[in-house]
Amino acid sequence: MKSDFKRIIEKWIPQNTKVLDLGCGDGDLLEHLKDSKNVNGFGIEIDISKANECLRRNIPVMQCDIDEGIKDFDDLDFDIAIMANSIQCLKNPNLALQNILNISNKCIVTLPNFAHWSCRLDLFFGKMPVTKNLPVPWYETKNIHLCTIKDFEELCNNLDLHVIEKLYLNNNFKESTLTKLLPNLLAAEGVYLIERK
Amino acid sequence: MIVKTKKILINSELECASGEALENFELMTDFYGELNKKKDNAVLVCHAFSGSHHAAGKRDGNIGWWDEFIGPDKTIDTNRFYVVSVNNLGSCFGSSGPLSKDKNGERFNNNFPQLEVIDWVESQKMLADKLGIKKWHLVIGGSLGGMQSLQWAVSYPKMVKKVGILAAAAKTSSQNIALNEVEREVIRKDSDFHDGKYLEFNKSPVKGLKAARMLGHITYLSAKNMDQRFGRKLQNTDSKIAEDIDFEIENYLQYKGGKFAESFDANSYILLTKVMDKFDIAHGYDDSLESALENIRAEVLVVSFTSDWMFPTSNGKEICLASIKANKKCSYIELEGEHGHDSFLYPNEDYQNAIKNFIESR
Repeated sequence: MKSDFKRIIEKWIPQNTKVLDLGCGDGDLLEHLKDSKNVNGFGIEIDISKANECLRRNIPVMQCDIDEGIKDFDDLDFDIAIMANSIQCLKNPNLALQNILNISNKCIVTLPNFAHWSCRLDLFFGKMPVTKNLPVPWYETKNIHLCTIKDFEELCNNLDLHVIEKLYLNNNFKESTLTKLLPNLLAAEGVYLIERK
Repeated sequence: MIVKTKKILINSELECASGEALENFELMTDFYGELNKKKDNAVLVCHAFSGSHHAAGKRDGNIGWWDEFIGPDKTIDTNRFYVVSVNNLGSCFGSSGPLSKDKNGERFNNNFPQLEVIDWVESQKMLADKLGIKKWHLVIGGSLGGMQSLQWAVSYPKMVKKVGILAAAAKTSSQNIALNEVEREVIRKDSDFHDGKYLEFNKSPVKGLKAARMLGHITYLSAKNMDQRFGRKLQNTDSKIAEDIDFEIENYLQYKGGKFAESFDANSYILLTKVMDKFDIAHGYDDSLESALENIRAEVLVVSFTSDWMFPTSNGKEICLASIKANKKCSYIELEGEHGHDSFLYPNEDYQNAIKNFIESR
């Protein structure tokens, strides 16, 4: 994970909390948060070699599918969940969000904005977008529920979720005047801290 | 690799969970590698139901049951770790069991105290004390050995740094018990069983034991694995074990069952299946798995195999979720495994990496 991105997420994580990282990859974010915020982290990762990397780093991990995993998690209790770039890979993102907020007080969601001008441009020329943060061609991508910044905020509204914080980032993981001005066109990435109302 | 095999006498009484007691007992034990000066590199490897202390290396033509996992630079690297592998009490490979003699010099036969997994842990705790090992770096095992590892972490939390629970469960299911009962019944109904006193008649219920193992063996494999290995292939006539065999799988089971019956003791078989049946870690904790795991201090690794129908993946997940609920540090790895329940015995890169990374992480 990019270090700028880590720094952004880190700001929203309080010290000594219990953190669930959904789609934790090789565990580098949780390892980082363990060192910087002394969090008690737990990851979910479907890829066995990445999960094994978590074991090497001594980050507790459950190797399973996020969709399957959270179904069994109903009575667990976390302070904050992180879903970095994985909501668009889920079967039912709307249900998943609600389930996650059943087991965690807050949730950080980051998502690639499908309405970013670069995506729009690709679509204008009749092609599925292949961009900096959506680098995989349509036939190989794991992204089955891509959405735009507008879509996600609408979903939060419909599900009665409160957006505590949000950031609109450009391709360099920086918020700029432009991304703030026209997020749905100019932001490549949306980053949210949400909770139930 | 330094290999030692010792029969170790523990000259103190073991009070069993059943209330019965053993005045003293012997544990047949293998040691691989060297105990360091700080005595903090010891690993206890727990064998499954019919296994033995012989986990690694070749001896009398037999290769240890986890040979690919234990040795220099292997999964459990004996250049770093000192592996202790104990034949469980009640078994028949040198440790005290139905074949040994009681204080009056009479063979126990079917009168050996009925043990529970917790008694094995107690017996091994006494062994650890004798060896001067105050804390295991790791206690690990598959199947019944995984249950034993879990029991270790619950019973002696301060003595276990890491625990590996492979292809196991927090308790045996009704189906597990049912199958075990069929296996026991087949042994009991062998006319040579003589109510467990067969040795007094110079007999052994090998027919029953063989049939029991044949059934057991099916539960250790997966349907897919059997189809791939044997399918509906017909047995060639030259190597048929019995006249009315048609398929390869029949011949295979006959062969495996027969081999097993030559080397295993029927009373041990009955006793050990009972040990398995009785296992329920949450017993005594209001049937709450979470409460049972509350004591654990060890880091936990649970591995389950999707091809295992004896202890399916839901069993492993259950342990992991309850551990997390109890605020323990627990990881869960799920692999397909080509060999059904027995997958925990077979080398596989992802599987071995998971174990190795877990053991060697700081």
